[in-house]
Amino acid sequence: MDVASTLTSLRAGQRYSSQAPFETSITAPVFPVRGQLPELPGLRNSSRTLLLAMAAINEAMSSAGLARFGHDVRVGVCLGTTIASQLNNLPFYREYRAGGQPPLDAVHEFLNANLGEAVADMLQVDGPRMTVVNACSSGTDAIGIAASWVRLGLCDVAIAGGADELSRVPLAGFWSLGVMSSKLCSPFDQDRDGLNLGEGAGVLVLESAESATRRGHALAFEVAGFGAGCDAHHLTAPHPEGRGLRAAIDAALRQAEIEPADIGFVNAHGTGTLDNDRVEGAVLAKVFGPGIKALSTKGYTGHTLGGAGGIEAVFTLLGLREGWIPASAGFAVAASDIPLQPLSKPTPIAAEYAISTSLAFGGNNAALILRRTA
Amino acid sequence: MSEPTCQAVPPASVLGVGAVTPIGRTLESIAVALAERAAQSQSPLLVADELLSDATTARRMRRAGRWASLAATAATDAWTGAQHAFHDDGDVGVIVATGFGPHVRTFRFLDGILDCGDASALPTDFSHSVHNVAAAYITELLGLRGRSCTLADFEAGFHQAVLLGQCWLAEGACSRVLLGAVDELGEVLLHLAGRMTDPADRVLPGEGAVFVTLGKGGISGTAQIDALSIPTHSDLLVVDEPPMHHHGAPPTIDGGTPATFTPYFGHSASSLALQTLGALLAVSKRFTPANVGRPIDSAIVRRRLWNGRHVELALAARPSC
Repeated sequence: MDVASTLTSLRAGQRYSSQAPFETSITAPVFPVRGQLPELPGLRNSSRTLLLAMAAINEAMSSAGLARFGHDVRVGVCLGTTIASQLNNLPFYREYRAGGQPPLDAVHEFLNANLGEAVADMLQVDGPRMTVVNACSSGTDAIGIAASWVRLGLCDVAIAGGADELSRVPLAGFWSLGVMSSKLCSPFDQDRDGLNLGEGAGVLVLESAESATRRGHALAFEVAGFGAGCDAHHLTAPHPEGRGLRAAIDAALRQAEIEPADIGFVNAHGTGTLDNDRVEGAVLAKVFGPGIKALSTKGYTGHTLGGAGGIEAVFTLLGLREGWIPASAGFAVAASDIPLQPLSKPTPIAAEYAISTSLAFGGNNAALILRRTA
Repeated sequence: MSEPTCQAVPPASVLGVGAVTPIGRTLESIAVALAERAAQSQSPLLVADELLSDATTARRMRRAGRWASLAATAATDAWTGAQHAFHDDGDVGVIVATGFGPHVRTFRFLDGILDCGDASALPTDFSHSVHNVAAAYITELLGLRGRSCTLADFEAGFHQAVLLGQCWLAEGACSRVLLGAVDELGEVLLHLAGRMTDPADRVLPGEGAVFVTLGKGGISGTAQIDALSIPTHSDLLVVDEPPMHHHGAPPTIDGGTPATFTPYFGHSASSLALQTLGALLAVSKRFTPANVGRPIDSAIVRRRLWNGRHVELALAARPSC
């Protein structure tokens, strides 16, 4: 539920999975967030995704030393999601389909859960606000966009990341696509056979150097580079040579003005599906060399969809801060079709830069380079 | 509150426009309908199916739902009709804004769950219910390999898309950005519109898609669009609000001679884009707004939001040198 307990779990290699916390005929492990989410005062019909986002935002703001924002600070909000953007409430639709007049609670919840709007209104900030819905790269893209706002002077501070809740509809969807595993996922492993779904939120507070200096806050990390690229190839399958991912990584390296050798480790998308891991592993090995320190954290969280990019950006930053990265949960045997072996145990790192990659439905690819500056 | 001036993000040039609307698809036919004040009498305002049939893309779009087809049709027109011939070197960006996304396809997937069970719903319906499916079709159809982003917002999505497009151009991440907004009016949404709006507001449910191809600002012979720096006055102020505000006495609004294109395009989460289409056609001299009575060179498009804020887009003609 917070960074401290997450670090403890990662260090211990704990994987907190369960069966889906809602009615479904699908038997597959999922990764729910444990513990009670905070109430949102004054907001009825709060979606779980919004609650997850606010929990992460509150912790991120606290760690940035920001209790609230003054009127002299322009604050943007850019958050990624998938679930919160869809009106897909099954009880509502079942009653509608039967010719009834279903209660509108589910609709109000949906309308109140546009993350960018809802969070900006709750925080009473008036900078740019966006909700990015690029499927599984949403969170990474949101951070890239927010970093651009800060660089261009559109805001002094930006709240950026992603959030998504577990839901029956995507569970059925990924199952129908045949990309879910009925056991714990094993990214980049020889025996990988699909992903697990999870939920959560990961948020960064980005701030311009000028703004941080004004309030006497020392910045310890920076978004050094962001890149994105389209496969323009297929709706659900990655380009076989990872064309879009390669373009995204190259663009991020260019913006950071660094070479591949400067990257200390890769927090890979690593879903555990056959296609994703084969393509992503090949691209990462080609760009960074087969010996690059790499991991997927989806073995700990499941695939949190629109939340994944935000959560994995936080994990990447924690790796730089803590000086170690966890084992790539689920990995045991090197895959014959992947020229990359993720870490099988917690590993010390001493890096200035690290990269987090995201691949998504629709051929979206994104790469985010974070830098430790202090 | 409108966005402040930001010198680092200049306006963009509109190089191409594509649209599918309840009053037509070609810019010529839409301009004629606006000039003749041929407001639609039926409700809701739907896009005619035949406007979406395109022999060159039919096979590649055969699995796409109506929402993705609306977007792909408008985006293709905005790209292929763009001025200034251009070769994509992987630096063309695509941005799609929507309020409700492919909700008809989402409900079809829910039909599959309810009728066949969780494990047996149709995967094609699921993959086509994801919001970035339109962007995926657009990038694949047009072979665009730059960055792509889909934004969800019930009111200001097109404004956000223009703002993001300007940022991508300003930072040099893209040399061109193909961006727009799309929303479809399905049965469930129509049901909700009937239950959740006050008849006194005279809400006119509609649908449509508008896309523009943007390049860096200052290109002569194009319209300039800006989501950041809004002048205090223009020739035309296009207001995107329920029509109740435009009956009876004209509203007193600062910024220019007021107008709205709601009677032609209806209300939708993408209506800001459709209002901007009308303003673009006026600024590019394709029609003359009747209440102005002369060709116009500038317009502001304003949308007041539920939470009391408003967003604005500024349009200005940049004559040929």
